[in-house]
Amino acid sequence: MNLSLRDIRHDSSRFLLTAVGLGLLLTVVLAMTGIYNGIIKDATALPDSLGADLWIVQRDTRGPFAELTRVSSDLEERARAVPGVARARSYVSHTIQRQLPNGRPLRFTAVGLSWPDDLGGGLPIIKGRPLAQPHYECLVDSSLGLALGQRIPLGRDVYTVVGITDGLLASGGDPAAFFTLSDAQRIQNDVSNEAIRLDREARSARVRQSALGRDPELVRFSGKNAQLIPALGPSPVSAVMLNVDPGVSLDTVQARLQGWQDVTVYSQAEQHALILGGVVEKTRLQIGLFRGLLVVISAILMGLIIYTMTVDKIHSIALLKLLGARMSVILGMILEEALLLGGIAYVLAVILGNFAFDIFPRRVVIENEHRLALLVIVTAISVASSAIGMKKALAADPNEVLAA
Amino acid sequence: MSDPIPAVQARSLSKHYGEGNTYVLALKEATFQIAPGEVVALLGPSGSGKSTLLTILGLINPPDTGWLQVGGVDVIRDGAAVGDANLIRRRNLGFVFQRSNLIPFLTAEENVRLVLELDDVPRREAVHRTREILESLGVADRASHLPMQLSGGQQQRVAIARALVHEPSLLLADEPTASLDKELGRRVMELLRTAAIERGAAVLIVTHDHRALDLVDRTFEIEDGVLDTEGAKVHGATL
Ligand SMILES: Nc1ncnc2c1ncn2[C@@H]1O[C@H](COP(=O)(O)OP(=O)(O)OP(=O)(O)O)[C@@H](O)[C@H]1O
Ligand SMILES: [Mg+2]
Repeated sequence: MNLSLRDIRHDSSRFLLTAVGLGLLLTVVLAMTGIYNGIIKDATALPDSLGADLWIVQRDTRGPFAELTRVSSDLEERARAVPGVARARSYVSHTIQRQLPNGRPLRFTAVGLSWPDDLGGGLPIIKGRPLAQPHYECLVDSSLGLALGQRIPLGRDVYTVVGITDGLLASGGDPAAFFTLSDAQRIQNDVSNEAIRLDREARSARVRQSALGRDPELVRFSGKNAQLIPALGPSPVSAVMLNVDPGVSLDTVQARLQGWQDVTVYSQAEQHALILGGVVEKTRLQIGLFRGLLVVISAILMGLIIYTMTVDKIHSIALLKLLGARMSVILGMILEEALLLGGIAYVLAVILGNFAFDIFPRRVVIENEHRLALLVIVTAISVASSAIGMKKALAADPNEVLAA
Repeated sequence: MSDPIPAVQARSLSKHYGEGNTYVLALKEATFQIAPGEVVALLGPSGSGKSTLLTILGLINPPDTGWLQVGGVDVIRDGAAVGDANLIRRRNLGFVFQRSNLIPFLTAEENVRLVLELDDVPRREAVHRTREILESLGVADRASHLPMQLSGGQQQRVAIARALVHEPSLLLADEPTASLDKELGRRVMELLRTAAIERGAAVLIVTHDHRALDLVDRTFEIEDGVLDTEGAKVHGATL
């Protein structure tokens, strides 16, 4: 005769309500885990999808995902000449916030791809195609909510969405949009006509005041489009991504590049560590702490519930002892109830999570391993809290039945 | 005067509570025996030691000194418990109290059958024996009711069924009819007596109800912990 099921049946509504409450709490624990994983995935999805083996960044900076870094645009050429380097691509990124003609705000991180070497074919494109023209095309992340073929005016130009990627966010949490390198720079440097005029005048003035001003030709050029003055600095890029030849040791190439005094080189793994250790570290810790706290709260709550349930039937337990029930019968009843409570709550949390997490604004990543981990935690909590009830049950005195 | 093998045999059972100022000798050298199927009433004023004796016989509280055999087996030897008290309880002892005898979340039938299943009686046999004893106590039609859905008299009858279904050597009852009215109390006593005799259990009943004494074979009287087993034979003689 199963005593635990009969005890639960006797007050099933209370038991179920308790299980639902606990289930909701576990749903939040699961959500925290998912958000935690989502943060890591979001932070690393973009660098991962770009598929670089090495990142060359401005000396002593921590890379484009952590802070502002600038390297000169000829670095790409220099790196390509290094033995063992199969591919070198420039990388630029900057976050912009504009408005669509319909008034909707549009905030994204513009990423520049090296045309024509990188058309974005390696990105997780779920709709449309990679870039096919050197200008005025873009790939946008699905979370931006733009349609394939939609035309977006940015600055002086209008860009057409030719592809939609999935789950690519920049470290700030903004969706990524991919342009050719020059388009990305053009968007970044988009300023009003008046600003350009003032900037050119200021530049000419600087040139005239410096030693450069002795060359009248240079003074004349300094008042024109900056793109026409290579010597006065084309827009630098953020970083250069490298892929090494198959069979070539990454360490060898990295060590060689480290010898260059103007740059720092990170492997993909180091890049990961920098992102997780820096940019998302605080958020990650906070969510992790929150999750730990919730587990502790669940444990305390469950312990209290099981304790109360045991106290509520202490008379029955004393009676069972009087009837000569083996201790295992009594302890088994308490353990079964705790496991059942935890089990129902767990199942509820998993089912609820499957439905609820899709509508969360942030990405929630729950894999089977996380569900399994939660199951282990819930089982441990159930066993631990039933131990509290068992302690009470062991102390139950058959004399209490006589006294009643 | 009794069978060759008594259902219960006690020798020199003593029990005290407290120390110094609070010292109470609750039971003094109690010695007696009860035969199978014999029903004995235990009479005595409040605080005289009735419950104390019952808890010692029920292996709930240990005595200071003394010997006790139940069903011919030693269970207390010189004040110390011998063997598995749980096993002796579920095989050889039955209990009925004034009230709250039943587990509230089990039906009447389950409350009774539980005792058999605790001793690993096969389910089919347990169901059969449970139905039988519920019928003989007139509560078979309430088998699937929870205790709170039963009247006081029905609850006590289920409790008696629970205390006897495993055919114990000794049934201990502490004022089993105290919460019932006179008529019902007497009816329940009759049922208890019949069921116990049928199953060959010795019965020791603590009672204040002198009107039911014609239903018992012998009376023990206790006062200040001193047990007098030579209480006159019943049928009106005592009072
Ligand atoms: N746990 C205990 N601690 C200390 N003294 C106790 C304890 N239990 C009983 N006593 C004392 O032992 C004596 C006998 O008590 P017992 O409960 O056996 O009496 P009783 O005959 O059952 O009384 P009643 O008819 O009121 O139930 C009393 O003096 C009582 O105060
Ligand atoms: Mg008493």
